[in-house]
Amino acid sequence: MHGEPAQAASVIFGLSPLWVATSLFVLTYVVIMSDRLNRAIVALLGAGTLILAGVLSQHEAMAAVDFNTLGLLLGMMLIVNITRRSGLFQFVAIWSAKKVGASPWGILLMMSIVTAVFSAFLDNVTTVLLTVPVTLLITDELKVKPYPYLFAQIFASNIGGTATLIGDPPNIMIGSATGLTFNDFGMHLTPIIIVVMVATMIPLYFLWGRHLSATDENRRHVMGFNESETITDPRLLKQSLTVIALVIAGFMLQRQIKIEPATIAIFGASVLLLVDNFGRDAETQSKNVHAALSEAEWITLMFFLGLFVLVYGIQKAGLIDMMAQGLLTATGGDFNVTALAILWASAVLSAFIDNIPFVATMIPLIKAMGPAFGGENALLPMWWALSLGACLGGNGTLIGASANLVVAGLAERAGTSFRFMEYLKVAFPLMLISIVLSHVYLYYRYL
Amino acid sequence: MSSPAIYTQTFSSLMGTDTVAEATRRMLDDRVSDLPVIDASGRFLGMFKLDRLYQILLPKAALIGYGVPDLAFVSDTLGDLRDKMREIEHRVVREFIVEPDHVVHTDTPPLELVRLLHEGINNIPVVDRDTGRLVGMASGRDLLLALRVEGD
Repeated sequence: MHGEPAQAASVIFGLSPLWVATSLFVLTYVVIMSDRLNRAIVALLGAGTLILAGVLSQHEAMAAVDFNTLGLLLGMMLIVNITRRSGLFQFVAIWSAKKVGASPWGILLMMSIVTAVFSAFLDNVTTVLLTVPVTLLITDELKVKPYPYLFAQIFASNIGGTATLIGDPPNIMIGSATGLTFNDFGMHLTPIIIVVMVATMIPLYFLWGRHLSATDENRRHVMGFNESETITDPRLLKQSLTVIALVIAGFMLQRQIKIEPATIAIFGASVLLLVDNFGRDAETQSKNVHAALSEAEWITLMFFLGLFVLVYGIQKAGLIDMMAQGLLTATGGDFNVTALAILWASAVLSAFIDNIPFVATMIPLIKAMGPAFGGENALLPMWWALSLGACLGGNGTLIGASANLVVAGLAERAGTSFRFMEYLKVAFPLMLISIVLSHVYLYYRYL
Repeated sequence: MSSPAIYTQTFSSLMGTDTVAEATRRMLDDRVSDLPVIDASGRFLGMFKLDRLYQILLPKAALIGYGVPDLAFVSDTLGDLRDKMREIEHRVVREFIVEPDHVVHTDTPPLELVRLLHEGINNIPVVDRDTGRLVGMASGRDLLLALRVEGD
């Protein structure tokens, strides 16, 4: 992936590249965690400084960027931004709420399932932005407290996102770095994710679900919602559904058609842009394309770009190899212990720090352990451990994943407060349950 | 303001302790969409606006953006809206006042007032800089009246 290594300029002041890269990497991590500067600015500055300091050449930095990850993220963002205009997501949310007769617990369950399924195919933040306002509308009509619903949706978005290659950025990165396909993720992670989802809902029922109640009058209000009115553009809906189906089919046939996920997603987005704009005048086309492109999460994309360069910087400087050796020493070189250590460490760390830079660092680290464990093919359980730990760990605290903070922000604007400790008291034990289940699953299936 | 006639000193206002029912009745009588709110000593507290009422009648989910682009699918009737209105009409307006986008003072130059009116801001409170008391309200109509050449 990194091509022909170009000669970097000499490292500034004759310092050791290892020290320069490590210091910059740690500093970048600290500033990202402090939340005082936008993370895209920090990552790009860190990457630029690595080049200016002579640790990497520009050619090496560009070669270090995983455009498969960026392309897949961008393609899916564009598809979602266009599809969103059709009203599809509101339709599904309201339809599912009515399917359970607007019963308060039934709606909590259905909205969680809808959120989990959407999250498996869309970015988690987009999913909660689409579903949480509908939840708030329903709880408003039912006159029930929205907190249990929103809490369950946070969990569902992170759990659902773990199930597929495209559900959560860590999985996209792992898939791109290892060649694991959509089907691989589906076959290896979806079974345990279904178990985790069920296991999460049971305590939530005893904690909140069994106490939820609404009057018949308020339930009638929700049953009176006309979901077909949410479809604002039936033509776009048909086009979007067709393209999404084809893109997912493309992901599923990735190995047979030998096309990388980024190409499938970007091509799907281009086709959707084409059919959405076909026959429209130049000004409308320009407006539509501009809207779709500008609504992409450019901060996330630029953050990734900088991060790939930073991680390659410490990899080239030798830090990743040292860390891999350190981990092997700590686990006594035992494969099972190492895999389970990755699961637990990823979960606990991801509850407090951004899982994207963590996974970006762990990928080369795990790869570096390949020779010690009989080659890259033997590392499969490690990748699943990393994915399960990093994605599910995000549920542990309110700052564990971007979706958590987005839900808390929306709730705050609607008058429901999410407090760090109040969330932690229920969320952390629930997250630990999901990791215990993952531990058992990994142990019995792979170790 | 150089010309005292540029704003009206005869205006309707609400006390912070008036009820929402009283406020809406006054808005209907005076055919206005917002009214200034003052305390017992005449100090300006803020505005009671029709727009704030709309916000109360709407579900909160419709006010946070993004996920609910329209409410055509919600079946709430006029009767439901009346019920919501009944729930708040005994509450005091102090709970619903909003900070106005702009206030002007007795010494604000006329051109600045014209600029604010040009930006679409109408019914601007005129507040005494020293005491904080509401001394008038300025609108496009007041400006037109002030612009009339004497003898017209």
